[in-house]
Amino acid sequence: MAWYHEIVSSIGALFGRRRQENEMDEEIAFHIEMETRRLVESGLDAHEARRRAVLAFGGVERHKDDVRDERGTSWLWDGWNDVRFAARSLRRRPGFTAIATITLALGIGATTALFGVVKQVLLTPLPYGHPESLVMVWSAWKGFDQTWLSYDEWEGWRARIHAFADIGLFAEGSANIDGDDPERVRTAQVQANVFPILGVQPIVGRNFTAEEDRPNGPSVVILGYGLWQRRFGGDPSVVGREVRISGQATTVVGVMPADFRLPLDFGADGRTEAWFPLATDAAQNGALPGPEFPKGGSNHGYNAVARLRPGVTAATANAQLRSLVAELEQWGYMSDVGFHAYAVPIEEQITGRVRPVLLVVFGAVGFVMLIACANVAGLLLVRGESRRRELAVRVALGAGARRLQRLLLAESAVLAAMGAVLGVGLAVLGVRLVRASAPAGLARVADTTIDWSVLLFALVVGVASAVLAGLLPALQATQIAPAAELKESGRGATSGSARLRWRQALVATEVALAVVLVTGAGLMVRSVRNLLAIDTGFRADGVLTMRLSTPSTWYTDSTAVAAFWDELQRRVAAIPGVEHVGAVRLLPLATDMGDWGLQVEGYTPPPNQGTPGDWQIVTPGYFEAMGLTVRDGRRFDARDDMNGALSMIVNQAFVQQYIAGRRALGTRVQINGSDSTLVYTIVGVVDDVHHNSLVGKVKPEFYVTLGQFARAPGNTRRSMSLVVRTDGDPAALAAPVRAVIRRLDARLPISEVRTMSDIVNSSISGPRFAMQALGLFGALALALSAIGVFGIVSQVVASRTHEFGVRAALGATPGELVRLSVRTGVRQALVGLAIGIVIALLLTRTMTSLLQGVTPTDPLTFATVVVVTGLVAIAASVGPARRAGKTDPARVLGSS
Amino acid sequence: MAPNPRPAQRSEVLQGTLEMLALKLLAAEPMHGWGLSLELRRISGDVFDVNQGSLYPALQKMLRRGWIRAEWRATENNRRARYYSITREGRKQLEAEIADWERTSGAVNRVLRYALQGG
Repeated sequence: MAWYHEIVSSIGALFGRRRQENEMDEEIAFHIEMETRRLVESGLDAHEARRRAVLAFGGVERHKDDVRDERGTSWLWDGWNDVRFAARSLRRRPGFTAIATITLALGIGATTALFGVVKQVLLTPLPYGHPESLVMVWSAWKGFDQTWLSYDEWEGWRARIHAFADIGLFAEGSANIDGDDPERVRTAQVQANVFPILGVQPIVGRNFTAEEDRPNGPSVVILGYGLWQRRFGGDPSVVGREVRISGQATTVVGVMPADFRLPLDFGADGRTEAWFPLATDAAQNGALPGPEFPKGGSNHGYNAVARLRPGVTAATANAQLRSLVAELEQWGYMSDVGFHAYAVPIEEQITGRVRPVLLVVFGAVGFVMLIACANVAGLLLVRGESRRRELAVRVALGAGARRLQRLLLAESAVLAAMGAVLGVGLAVLGVRLVRASAPAGLARVADTTIDWSVLLFALVVGVASAVLAGLLPALQATQIAPAAELKESGRGATSGSARLRWRQALVATEVALAVVLVTGAGLMVRSVRNLLAIDTGFRADGVLTMRLSTPSTWYTDSTAVAAFWDELQRRVAAIPGVEHVGAVRLLPLATDMGDWGLQVEGYTPPPNQGTPGDWQIVTPGYFEAMGLTVRDGRRFDARDDMNGALSMIVNQAFVQQYIAGRRALGTRVQINGSDSTLVYTIVGVVDDVHHNSLVGKVKPEFYVTLGQFARAPGNTRRSMSLVVRTDGDPAALAAPVRAVIRRLDARLPISEVRTMSDIVNSSISGPRFAMQALGLFGALALALSAIGVFGIVSQVVASRTHEFGVRAALGATPGELVRLSVRTGVRQALVGLAIGIVIALLLTRTMTSLLQGVTPTDPLTFATVVVVTGLVAIAASVGPARRAGKTDPARVLGSS
Repeated sequence: MAPNPRPAQRSEVLQGTLEMLALKLLAAEPMHGWGLSLELRRISGDVFDVNQGSLYPALQKMLRRGWIRAEWRATENNRRARYYSITREGRKQLEAEIADWERTSGAVNRVLRYALQGG
């Protein structure tokens, strides 16, 4: 039980220190008094008796110290005293203290903020039950790396892929929440098993029943938490009530938890906020009932999520899918296009694209932290230099080496503590910045918060930085030999060359780390520039877009819809500053586009292959509003309304693939599913537009007008994006355009108000985020290492004043002295540069997935880094070196 | 811990012996520090006379180990003094130390006797 007494005694000693001191004093006084009295009784006079009593007791203070030691808390008190002493001595050097604190705060702040992001994105579990056994299931074939499932495939996988405990379908859409202030929200239709598969239950009400999830079932909805709070005040009694959604009375059956999102809702497009039953069956999908497959495939339009059986991995599921697909292919299922299917672990699906960006940026911030520590270590070394006399005196007075080390470590601990407090403040700002600059395409980044685990991380980083920055200077202190030190303290003394070498090593390290960061930043700058240099096929600047839907409740047929868009565009065009206005089914770079089968006159596809085209529905003004260049023929105009001759415009990829070597204009094209008498004629060819992403090959695409699409193939398009081009600021147009829409039809909700520039930027948010972060950290790193170089040249110049005086006396010109000093700084920078380049060559390959059009070892980038770092090193050296040039031999030599 | 420039104790053995003797005396009755110091000197024939103060760190150490406890009481002269008394663990420790001591001193005695006879 000894440990128990030790702890109680230590804690008691800690809190009752004053009382214990008093008691000890009293006890010793009592002892001496009693001893004195005994000696008096034996015949001594009072004075002599007291003298002997004190003598017999021995050194009072020494015994007191020994008693204190035996209390078992002296290390705590010594530590506290060290800290207080360190704080006092730091206060005497406010400049040094401020620079060191700010340096550490920058490092700790940046690291902490980034840790917050990493934690939120990569470490916080997804809001599902056992997310590790969830997978998304995708189909793929030529030209489509990741696309939807058909109903047949769902039936097949469900029956025959035994790795899946269950698999459910969902599809995305949108709906109007009717009311005084109508609102358009993103929605999804889910099969009744989707929420159970995800392992999430409504917090109020219940999940859909099987009866609700069938064709022509009742109108029911499950609300998202945000929508429930916003529109219904978080009232639980809304469950069971009817609300009007897109003009239809719909019964609320449940509310999902606040953090719930569907697996595809973590990206740039925001989240779905209301869920309806998918309510479909094989017949509705033109699918064969049961696990049977039509050879040509059927409509692919569903997302699928599956729960793996316990103990089964995604790899097993993929192996089963592969063997089943191989079997189907042999039999003939979609074999013309090379159909296959695969499962992706949900974690990878959601954060797979973000992970490489974050890991690179987090690694970069770690480098910044190391540079900050090296810098502070350098500062502490310099400070140690100027304190050697003080420390030597302490050693001479009996302070042990370990005691000095502890004192110096306490100093860096105090610095690190202040840096950590300031750093957490910076981290809070940094997280706010990250959230605001919201790389919207980066899943979950916007949800980042500073919580206790992030604060704990800051604490750990703070302690680590205290040790990293303080250890070297503290170890240096052990080598102080007081005799030598006090003797050599004359003015002409030179700094020990060993100590200088340590600083040089630190500076070289800083430069090396900075070089790696700057190289990474340079590669990202080039990548982003390459991405932005890709010809999107449209002109993004000056374009405002917003999404509108014309529900069938109020716009019963396609004539009404066409009339609405005609009138809306006429009115928007009248707004001052508007140059062109149009509308389009899907905005490029904001959405994913699938294709539609065609028959192109004069083109026979290879055996078992179709003639697919990405399909766009537009109004005549779209091409000018979006800035598409017409390469041949004409744009759409008033002729191409619902009753006009069927006209089609295609992109250049379409011409190359299907009409190569023939005249495009006049070629006749039929859209599958149209009445055989309804055939389009190509009237124009436009530039290729990058739709699904900036990189990758553009597929054949065709454009038809809203009115004519209603005739062939005969669908009324209800959701369209309005596209407005202005010569001014597109964002400033949002309010007047909204006002026009409200006056035309106040019931219509407006959503997704964005400029095309935002959309383009957000489509490359990953590389942009990496570029901005690496750019910021690279600049910081360069600045810190410049301070390091500056410091070392200053030190060298100061310590060689005497030598320079002699050189000047012997005829060296000021210029020669400056060059000599600059060389000392640049030499360290060059060593760091060389090491840094080697490290960068090894590390930049981890960025490969982020790079575009540049290799990880891009010679131009590396050359630029060499030049920039060299210039920074020279610039940092010149300042202090100029002092060397001013050396006055008479004064220097005269004074020694 | 900084190596304090502290004069060497007489020896580790003596320090251990001091603790054992103090425990032995406290096992008979609670005493204050000075009383203990006086008694030690009296019994030991002033072997423990040097540095009366070194008793106090030893007492503090035994307090921390839980072998003794301390309380403030009035002396017969009505002075306030800190009295130490032995605990149950202290008694166990004392028994162990005495056993240890007897083993050691017995061995030393045997060696000395052998040396005397042989020499």
